[in-house]
Amino acid sequence: MTDGDYDYLIKLLALGDSGVGKTTFLYRYTDNKFNPKFITTVGIDFREKRVVYNSRGPNGSPGKAFKVHLQLWDTAGQERFRSLTTAFFRDAMGFLLMFDLTSQQSFLNVRNWMSQLQANAYCENPDIVLIGNKADLSDQREVNERQAKDLADKYGIPYFETSAATGQNVEKAVDMLLDLIMKRMEQCVDKTQVSDTANGGSSGKLDSAKPEEKKCAC
Amino acid sequence: MACEFNLNFLKELEREAVLEVLYRDQMVRKTEEERIRKLKLQLQQLRWKGARNVNHEYQERSCARCQKSLGLLMNRGAVCNGCSHRVCSECRVCLNPCLWKCTVCYAHGDVKVKAGEWFFEERAKKYPGEAKGCRLTIRLLCGLWICDHGNFKTANILCFLTLGISHLQELGQSKSFNKSVENLVLSLTTHIKKISKSQNDMADRRLLTTDYGQNVERRKQRRSQSDTAINITSRVSILLYNITSSPTSDAVFCDGRKHGSLYSLNSTCTESGNFGKANVTGEIEFAIRYIFKACILEICIKGCKNLAYGEEKKKKCNPYVKVYLLPDKSPRSKRKTAVKKSTVDPEFDETLKYKIEYSQLGSRQLQISVWHAGALKYRVFLGEVVIPLAAWNFEENSMQLFNWYQLKPKQHLKPSAELTNWLFHMINAPVSGKKDPGVPNCQLQVMIFGAKNLPMLRSAGMPNSFVKGCLILPDQAEVKRKSPVLKKEAFPQWKHLFVFDGVTPPQLQQSCLHLTVWDKSSFSSSDQFLGGAKLGAEESLGSADPVPPSVLQWQEVLRSPNTWMDFTLVLHSNKENFKS
Ligand SMILES: Nc1nc2c(ncn2[C@@H]2O[C@H](COP(=O)(O)OP(=O)(O)OP(=O)(O)O)[C@@H](O)[C@H]2O)c(=O)[nH]1
Ligand SMILES: [Mg+2]
Ligand SMILES: [Zn+2]
Ligand SMILES: [Zn+2]
Repeated sequence: MTDGDYDYLIKLLALGDSGVGKTTFLYRYTDNKFNPKFITTVGIDFREKRVVYNSRGPNGSPGKAFKVHLQLWDTAGQERFRSLTTAFFRDAMGFLLMFDLTSQQSFLNVRNWMSQLQANAYCENPDIVLIGNKADLSDQREVNERQAKDLADKYGIPYFETSAATGQNVEKAVDMLLDLIMKRMEQCVDKTQVSDTANGGSSGKLDSAKPEEKKCAC
Repeated sequence: MACEFNLNFLKELEREAVLEVLYRDQMVRKTEEERIRKLKLQLQQLRWKGARNVNHEYQERSCARCQKSLGLLMNRGAVCNGCSHRVCSECRVCLNPCLWKCTVCYAHGDVKVKAGEWFFEERAKKYPGEAKGCRLTIRLLCGLWICDHGNFKTANILCFLTLGISHLQELGQSKSFNKSVENLVLSLTTHIKKISKSQNDMADRRLLTTDYGQNVERRKQRRSQSDTAINITSRVSILLYNITSSPTSDAVFCDGRKHGSLYSLNSTCTESGNFGKANVTGEIEFAIRYIFKACILEICIKGCKNLAYGEEKKKKCNPYVKVYLLPDKSPRSKRKTAVKKSTVDPEFDETLKYKIEYSQLGSRQLQISVWHAGALKYRVFLGEVVIPLAAWNFEENSMQLFNWYQLKPKQHLKPSAELTNWLFHMINAPVSGKKDPGVPNCQLQVMIFGAKNLPMLRSAGMPNSFVKGCLILPDQAEVKRKSPVLKKEAFPQWKHLFVFDGVTPPQLQQSCLHLTVWDKSSFSSSDQFLGGAKLGAEESLGSADPVPPSVLQWQEVLRSPNTWMDFTLVLHSNKENFKS
């Protein structure tokens, strides 16, 4: 299914306790379907989706559209796979940290997941979106929105309440994460584009052509 | 560093599930690599467009990018901050209101972003030395392989393993890590051999060449199509693929023993490692024959006499005979008789068999060793006989009789330089444009994998080796090919494809392929010859000498459409005999 006709390969990874709905969430996102059955994930898995990302100019003007190939890693929440799953954190560019709105415990564990991320992700402060899932089960809710928002604010990350069952906010949450990553990428790149300039060139051989030309820039 | 994951906590089915995922991931990575390669190529082309212009610059002022001429006062262009070239206003890309770059410098940055380099750079800050590629995948693979005791089962896994090879080279850093990778490769090549033997089809060639980009579905498709494909283009494919273990890889196995399951792969090394020794006495009686119809080599082991006691003090001896068809020392090559209890004059009366092409025998040696099986896994070496089959005349009846052979102490065979893992592939495909229905043109492809045990010529260090291929046609015309130079490697792995096309099968019948390995000299002096091997028709025919194996191998190759075959090509040091 993968052909190379895209501009960026972006790797996201979903993590969180077992049963919070990571697999179901990703399935909703990629296939727009809901699976009510619980089949716990063995170790790791991933799904793919091709999306179009519209970049925006500095003043909010519409920029270019890019084809993005998303590789969405799904990890097992079960403790026994931990050594395997955390090893994959390092390869991901952004994270969907999920808990179950109907399980206080899964919310409490968010802190642990955060420290796992800090230890194992590609950098100290990677892009993360906090997701409270199963918003459709309002009668069983154990975590209120305020609590979750506060925690997200503390970490300085966005928070979404989603439902893989209804599809509510699923796309929004992923889009947000993608946006964060693309912004970070632009920043990193601007830095290198500018620093390339400072170092006086990046394209090897051509530099030696005419040193005296350098002085007479207009 | 820990060289591989401990994945013992996974159950067998779970391991397969994980492998399956890794396999799919590898597909994604492959596509990505290909995409990046194309991007870089485009960038290179863009650069070239400008570079051509450099020469003109003194004569006329022109834009370094589009070559439009620039005026002295009007439209005089400006110098790019990135590359210091003067470019016209059209060949600039604005990054922000006060910074612009020329199109090439911009494209350079753009490729870096699109290749995701920002991510690898960021990651390298936190994990210095982290390879960009699929290091994790390989680590996992090793881990899985170890808990699986070297037994991968499903076809998926095999494909995947093959995909893995292409990345093994990036893992040069850690010694211990390399070892497990090497073990893995050995095991996987064994498996590949098995499937290629059993399936003999075109898809498997793809498995082994550098084109690892196919997915399982496509493989399946190809498999079902391959029959018709062969009919249409009447392809002939040959695989020369040899797994030989050198003394160095033996060492690898010995070291790998701590991983528990590794040593099952290669017991010859564990034997010499921590196994008991007895004085070698006595003789062994056996006969060797070759059943031409069935392509089976038979070793009939009659018995032994006057063996030494395996455990001298206890006067204990439970002998058995083990045979390897060298140079293959993998378990695939191992045959054993039953263990006889408490005797130094055992009678075995067992026939051990190998399915092998006759043409391959010339490069093989039979290693027939006698062992004492003690309590638990204690083994004692009682002696061995090594028979080079090149000198064996299988057509001569007297050679098939039983004979007694003196048992000898372990022989340390001096390794000969070898071209390893050569992949030969010939396609008989009609070339469009040429209309000669009777004699289709064909293509000979030779995949050069690597070589080992190359002679050391330099006082300081490893050779910078490369391979020349020279196909000598019947009219003495020579078609030459050359591989890139691999710097400072004792066991170079070129993985380079030679393609000889526009030849016909009858032409090939009388052609000869000379493969030579060279050490590239760093200065102007000429390159040093490291060794050469030949395949094909000998120039001087008609002598009474036995037909050399290289000729038989070549004929076998031409005669056997769609079969994979493996030969070992031993390198010879007489430079004069080779054309390059
Ligand atoms: N009602 C409702 N059920 C959900 C929702 N998301 C997931 N579920 C159900 O919750 C159960 C667990 O979902 P999974 O996606 O398998 O959980 P997981 O996080 O992948 O679990 P592990 O793979 O063990 O880590 C399944 O039965 C899902 O159908 C949701 O938004 N609403
Ligand atoms: Mg799951
Ligand atoms: Zn221009
Ligand atoms: Zn420039």
